[in-house]
Amino acid sequence: MTFLATPLRRRIPAKGFWSWVTTVDHKRIAKLYGYTGFVFFIVGGLEALLIRLQLARPENAFITPAEYNSLFTMHGTTMIFLVVMPLAAAFMNYLLPLMLGARDVAFPRLNALGYWFFLGGGIVLYSSYILATAGAPAGGFLPETISRLGSAANGGWFMYPPNSGAQFSPGSVIDFWLVGIALAGVGSLVSSVNLLTTIFNLRAPGMSLMKMPVFAWMAMVVNFLLLFSIPIITVAIFMLIFDRQFGTAFFEASGGGDPVLYQHLFWLFGHPEVYILILPAMGIVSEVLPVFSRKPLFGYAAVVFAGIAIGFLGFGVWAHHMFASGIGPITQAAFGLSTMTIAIPTGVKVFNWIATMWGGKLRFTAPMLFAIGFVAMFTIGGLSGVTHSIVPADWQQTDTYYVVAHFHYVLFGGSMFGIFAGLYYWFPKLTGRMYRERLAKYHFWLMFIGFNMTFGPMHYLGLMGMARRTYTYPAGIGLEFWNMISTIGAFLIASSVLLFMANWINSRRRGAPAPIDPWDARTLEWSIPSPPPEYNFGEVPTVRSLDDFWHQKYDEDDLGRVTRRPDADAHIAELTEKHLHPEHRPHLPSPSAFPPLAGLSALGFAFGLLYHATPVGLGLIALGVVGLFASFLSWAREPLEENA
Amino acid sequence: MTAHTETSTGIDTRKLGMWAFLSSEALFFGALITNYLLFKGRDLQGIHPRELLNIPFTSVSSFVLLMSSLTMVLAHAALTRDNQRAARGWLLATAALGATFVGGQVYEFSNFYKEGMTLSTNPASSSFFVLTGFHGAHVTIGVLLLLSLVGLSFRRGGLTFEHGLNLELVGLYWHFVDIVWIVIFTVVYLIR
Amino acid sequence: MDSAKPAHPSPRQYVTIAGILVVLTALEVSLFYLNIGGINTPALIVLMLLKFTLVVAFYMHLRYESGFLRRLFAAGLAVASVLYFIVLATFYSRG
Repeated sequence: MTFLATPLRRRIPAKGFWSWVTTVDHKRIAKLYGYTGFVFFIVGGLEALLIRLQLARPENAFITPAEYNSLFTMHGTTMIFLVVMPLAAAFMNYLLPLMLGARDVAFPRLNALGYWFFLGGGIVLYSSYILATAGAPAGGFLPETISRLGSAANGGWFMYPPNSGAQFSPGSVIDFWLVGIALAGVGSLVSSVNLLTTIFNLRAPGMSLMKMPVFAWMAMVVNFLLLFSIPIITVAIFMLIFDRQFGTAFFEASGGGDPVLYQHLFWLFGHPEVYILILPAMGIVSEVLPVFSRKPLFGYAAVVFAGIAIGFLGFGVWAHHMFASGIGPITQAAFGLSTMTIAIPTGVKVFNWIATMWGGKLRFTAPMLFAIGFVAMFTIGGLSGVTHSIVPADWQQTDTYYVVAHFHYVLFGGSMFGIFAGLYYWFPKLTGRMYRERLAKYHFWLMFIGFNMTFGPMHYLGLMGMARRTYTYPAGIGLEFWNMISTIGAFLIASSVLLFMANWINSRRRGAPAPIDPWDARTLEWSIPSPPPEYNFGEVPTVRSLDDFWHQKYDEDDLGRVTRRPDADAHIAELTEKHLHPEHRPHLPSPSAFPPLAGLSALGFAFGLLYHATPVGLGLIALGVVGLFASFLSWAREPLEENA
Repeated sequence: MTAHTETSTGIDTRKLGMWAFLSSEALFFGALITNYLLFKGRDLQGIHPRELLNIPFTSVSSFVLLMSSLTMVLAHAALTRDNQRAARGWLLATAALGATFVGGQVYEFSNFYKEGMTLSTNPASSSFFVLTGFHGAHVTIGVLLLLSLVGLSFRRGGLTFEHGLNLELVGLYWHFVDIVWIVIFTVVYLIR
Repeated sequence: MDSAKPAHPSPRQYVTIAGILVVLTALEVSLFYLNIGGINTPALIVLMLLKFTLVVAFYMHLRYESGFLRRLFAAGLAVASVLYFIVLATFYSRG
């Protein structure tokens, strides 16, 4: 471990705008992902509120059909690609090195690059509101001359051809989506290579895979899913771009192509994608529930293997999104069966979470409330999902609000609740302060009630025939009341988010100072100061067991009864001191300008592609390529650490 | 992380990262190959690839690319013996062979265009061009990587395996591009 | 750490393998021209897999690497093969 002995030579700037732009510190990159993702959450939420305002009454003219198509497309795309994925990335980036006992991730600069590509993708996507040309007129509550609400991508978040092809979507709105998502996707791929390598290679001595926290296991599965699914959607996107721009007919039946091929390629990515969205939250909840039940996770191995099984089986169910696409009875039967089987490992996890809480000494803090909320809401969403696995039932449900109910229960009641649980749970570690518990509980209850008001009725509305992706519904067929309830619920959700934001902003500066282990938790990240020093661990720990930190504080007798060791507090104080003032200050990767420069080049390249028919566009393409090449070459020449 | 740090698996971190990336490329090229297999015989209007593929010419191209894998591996062997000049020479040879391959592809494609088979003629031609085009793009990037290594070899200390972008990693990428071609050559060109 | 591993083919062995690759390619091309019926395609695939394996095992050194890397690469190949086989199968079992 000679690197421990080498003193730090270059002073890393701790503050200032440029220190953030050039950062390669995983904790800062995590914050970049987190704050950016949260900003997109607000934007996507505003899009949702506009949708709900339009649907509050039948035959409403608040939003025009064209605007509506853009809004639901952008809402879905934003929440999936620009909110849940980056927030999950934020957690994985922040926590994995801390949980594994590492100083940073495997490829710090590549890690930064992943963020800049994500941001670039988001910028391209959202610039469509301003820059893209659409065929359709706008003009709802905003006058036609200024409304750009209908100018963003409008083909649904899955962007099916032929609707999204050149004939039915002239103009450039679709291209902005395709290029933006492709760029963000490359960022995810790059990130997955980095995090997988981190998990496999940078664990502290003694931490075998079966001694890793469950969150780390779920992160591993997520990153395998990303690794294998992003290339597929990248191909689908390229092929659709070629169809739109270069006259190919991959997905045009009239040209000999097949639109169902797109659906296969999209859902080969799209289904693993939904497990990418939920597994991090499952990992978070698997960390939170044991701590606030004062019991270890019930069936660690089962939860781990169930997670692996979900990832594995998740690759085998994609055509259940295509039951209504004419794929034929053999295919339908096969995928209906495989979809049913995926309920099994999911159920295993739910039972294990419940068993973790059973007989435990429960503390109903805000993270615990969100975690329990997750288990309940996700189970509801999972149950409606399983009803989709029955093909004839799915034919009834497809394209109705029943599906909208299902995926919001798993994505909001599931992923977002899990994310909020994590945000509150790790807030003290991140900031060194406690959030306001009472306000957080108000957030939870308001959000819980609002959420169920918004999405619960959609099960009924869907089965009564209310169609998805349609800007209005007829009066007089019984849909009015629950749509109004749903809209009110949406505004309750929005209010609860404001409570969260107020809590976060206020408590960061003025919350009560937090000890390093405020929750009496189990995993390694709680053994270092809050907020962690830049190098995380002053001394890399040696791990002897699962939940090693817990075993440093508590003894367990043969019957599993737990007693706090008399030297536990002194031990924690000693740890704090050791990590804050290490004998030899560890040296760290130096900040680098090349990941953001590469990101900027990629952004230029992306806009160049969108304007490839103009000289400016061609110039941007050339500049982008040169910039990328120059950035990567400089990156290769730059030593990772100044004194390497 | 450089080689002096111990890793949990015992595998060099950068090598592990590269193999993970190459593993994902199987999904990328697999989709393109599937695409070709689906469309190659379907609903054909206009000239399609089977009519124009030049087996003798492409056999020579394939030979060129295979030989470039040999020169790559010889470059690696030279560097393990710390023979910087030989390593540089073999790297240049590899780049030259790679560039020859790409040149051959460009020549082949322009011939196809002259014969009336373009990217948009029919789905078979589209999927042919997209598959071989993306492969050619990968080869081109590989050539740039090789030339970058040659450029980097002139710095003080020359090429080592300690650096982030090192010969072993580029070699893995290069051989991968070769094995994709091994598959394409058989599936597209040789299987009727 | 693993550059200290022993087994590395010698340059001679590398050239030998290259020779085998050339022979296999020549066989493949011959099969194309001979076109001996139903067995042609399986035979071509076998030859292709042989070449593939030789390059991966010896040139990419996977034969001498940790089993973990072998499994990692195999995973990508396996997932791709299975998924795309199923996709093609759905098209042939009535769309």
